[in-house]
Amino acid sequence: MVRAELNKRGPLRVFEKSINGGLGKGHIGVLASKKGVGKTACLVHIATDKLFRGRHVIHVSFSQKVDHIISWYEDIFKEIAKKRDLEDAIDIHDEIIKNRVIMNFNSQGTTIDQVLVSLRAMMTEGNFPADSVIFDGYKLSEASPDDMNKLKTLASDADIELWFSVSLNGENPTFNEKGIPTVLEDRVKDLDVLITLKFEGDYVHFQVIKDHENMELKDMSLKLDPKTMLIARE
Amino acid sequence: MKTDISKMRNIGISAHIDSGKTTLTERILFYCKRIHSIHEVRGKDGVGATMDSMELEKERGITIASAATSVNWKGYDINIIDTPGHVDFTIEVERALRVLDGAVLVLCSVAGVQSQSITVDRQMKRYNVPRIAFINKCDRTGADPLKVKDQLVEKLGHNAVMIQLPIGLEDKHEGIIDLVTMKAVYFRGPDGEDIEITDIPTDLLDEAEGKREEMLDSISMFSDELMEAIMEESVTEDLIHDALRKGTLSQGLTPVCLGSAYKNKGVQALLDATTKYLPNPTEIENIALDLDNDENEIILESVESKPNVALAFKLEDGQYGQLTYIRVYQGSIKKGSELYNTRSRKKFKVGRLIKMHSDHMEDIIEAEHGDIAALFGVECASGDTFVQTGLNYSMTSMFVPAPVISLSIAPKDKKAADNMAKALNRFTKEDPTFRTFVDKESNQTIIQGMGELHLEVYVERMKREYAAEVEIGKPQVAYREAISKMVDFNYTHKKQTGGSGQFGRVAGFLEPLTEGDYEFVSKIKGGSIPTEYIPACNKGFKSSLTKGSLIGFPIVGVKVTINDGQSHAVDSSDMAFQSAAMGAFRDAYARAKPVILEPIMRVSIEGPTEFQGNVFGSINQRRGIIISSADEGTFSSVDAEVPLSEMFGFSTTLRSLTQGKAEFSMEFLKYGKVPKGISDELITEYEEKRRKESGK
Repeated sequence: MVRAELNKRGPLRVFEKSINGGLGKGHIGVLASKKGVGKTACLVHIATDKLFRGRHVIHVSFSQKVDHIISWYEDIFKEIAKKRDLEDAIDIHDEIIKNRVIMNFNSQGTTIDQVLVSLRAMMTEGNFPADSVIFDGYKLSEASPDDMNKLKTLASDADIELWFSVSLNGENPTFNEKGIPTVLEDRVKDLDVLITLKFEGDYVHFQVIKDHENMELKDMSLKLDPKTMLIARE
Repeated sequence: MKTDISKMRNIGISAHIDSGKTTLTERILFYCKRIHSIHEVRGKDGVGATMDSMELEKERGITIASAATSVNWKGYDINIIDTPGHVDFTIEVERALRVLDGAVLVLCSVAGVQSQSITVDRQMKRYNVPRIAFINKCDRTGADPLKVKDQLVEKLGHNAVMIQLPIGLEDKHEGIIDLVTMKAVYFRGPDGEDIEITDIPTDLLDEAEGKREEMLDSISMFSDELMEAIMEESVTEDLIHDALRKGTLSQGLTPVCLGSAYKNKGVQALLDATTKYLPNPTEIENIALDLDNDENEIILESVESKPNVALAFKLEDGQYGQLTYIRVYQGSIKKGSELYNTRSRKKFKVGRLIKMHSDHMEDIIEAEHGDIAALFGVECASGDTFVQTGLNYSMTSMFVPAPVISLSIAPKDKKAADNMAKALNRFTKEDPTFRTFVDKESNQTIIQGMGELHLEVYVERMKREYAAEVEIGKPQVAYREAISKMVDFNYTHKKQTGGSGQFGRVAGFLEPLTEGDYEFVSKIKGGSIPTEYIPACNKGFKSSLTKGSLIGFPIVGVKVTINDGQSHAVDSSDMAFQSAAMGAFRDAYARAKPVILEPIMRVSIEGPTEFQGNVFGSINQRRGIIISSADEGTFSSVDAEVPLSEMFGFSTTLRSLTQGKAEFSMEFLKYGKVPKGISDELITEYEEKRRKESGK
């Protein structure tokens, strides 16, 4: 399969379709689930899909080692290339990694201000034309309203979309009647998209809790393939 | 006379370039009664400080090579390794740190913790070197030693504890308050050699008492006895010294001294602290590798009865021949005894054994375990391990980074050529990061090193010390050429006009090869090319790869398949088929969309986070790709892939972009395609060069 075709017909198109064509620039989206369900894999797949389509992505991580994140990208790329029988995979790989930067913050108590200073430096001085920023492991549920405002300002000023993963603590995290995780109840007004990941039977399923203005629960007809850790059609 | 090993110290004095390290060393030597006058680093009398033995260093006012000097202070034998403070010479620092047992970190009371302090401190941590700090230049305008102490805590993560306080600062800096004895110490006389101890001036008493409390608080955790004594209010000086020593040795504590070496204040008190708190050789664990036993680690014992183990850590070319500085770890090396070099596997006899005082030397008959001495005329390289016959140990290998830059050098005349060879031979032995070879392609002598300044210094040393005038080329990048498309070929080589003729036809295709440089496949069936001529075809193609037609660099990554051809009963020969293959390649190569490849380096830059934007920008300007950045609070690092050709001058740029507070390293990663614009420039350049050459 050639790259253009892969971009046209992938499970990520289904993903975008179910959130009204995608998160969109200037917006904030969240993937929430308890630990160990596959949020990082999903974020990396979302990022890789953007890279395939020629976009620029910054992956912000906390506490994990950079090498570890790079191997996530390598694995997800390999799985996609294998599954879709991608032509010129090596060239495409070399080309798209130029558009990806990983920024790791591993000191305790890194403030959102420090992260924003570094991100802005990357986009301005580093001349990196980011389209999306992935925040993996940032404790969004503990962010102050002020921090939230700074993130929203970043999204709109820099005209980028921000994707966050949010870990829900415990074996059985609680949700309200609208399907919103309890820890995010106060936050949800600041989010444009909220998706939860849950085990149902053998698979991890995706559910849209908030889709821009729409707050109706929707199933995405997507699952996480436990073998490849790729987002796949149900 | 046997020395008491508990009274032996091997220390380094390490610091940022302008913090006054050389002046401090000079004062230490003076007070230890070994030298009789004091010279400044940039002295008006033109004599220069004693430690800077190399002329070049005198001129630049910096210390490049580390020389070992032995002094005696109040019955203690102190070996001082003067370490360089420049980023391009970190290998020298690291090598010195390898043989040290403790170090004095010199800081400027005005500038505080600077880039090189950060780098050097990190290196010291790596080698587990216990440290004490000396805040120098307290006589300078803007001096603030307490601020610098806070920086030690914040920027370097030291548990820094003031054990002294200044009496007056800037032009009123008169002396120090010793917080252990709670006395004021003044340094009188023209050279500060007369020490006057008095009661603490009343206006400073409150502050001194407060700081003493702080000190006791911090150090009591290292000594239960002191903790008890504090509660019973029966603290003694010995208990404090003991706790400070324990804390320092465990690297959990950094005692901070202060003064002004230039104004002769506080140096003797620093020497006291050095002898009191820094370890003696028996208190440090040193490890050797047993080469006969899978390089198993062996803990060396600093005792005389054990077989000799010593490390050659520094080579110097003196007027009497090669001087090899050694650190003895185990046993005792005597004049006339036999040693074995475990790298070269050669035995040698210990001839002259000396102790160095910078440029002067003293003959000794024995170098004991723990001591630093020098040998004369021993053929070896730095980093070699010397042992007693029968042992086969190697000291843990020192971390040697790979060279990152190369430069062609050419002697100006015949005499210079001989001297250059001598100098290169010497430098490569002295410095493992400096390498040299003759490039087969250009027949030029190439030198490689850790940075442009690194190579510059060697070029200057060649001129000054070896009278070898050389011309240097531009820093060079090794380009490659490659094909990017599969193409067919069908080529006939024919020369059949009169005499014995030549005939051969080869047909097949070229295709890019991702793994490896060259592959040749013959799919000739039915003898269209007779089997005996196939190797000639291979040879013809292979020889075509040495010089590409774009810019004259070697071609890599080509697979050649031949599947058809034709021969002539009389006129075909090896020669004819080799020519046919070369012709076929020349013709096919031009159509195979050849591209230029350049070495791409993996570059790691580390520095204070405040300069992150500048670093990102400089990578972007150099066609670099930022792979990742890691933010560790005030310090951060960036990993990037940058073409080598864009990295020339980077150390200078980085230094100016970050006030010298960042450092970088790079290593070869892969060959990558040169972008169109630059590729065109290179081709035009090459064509012009060829036109000029053919025009001659």
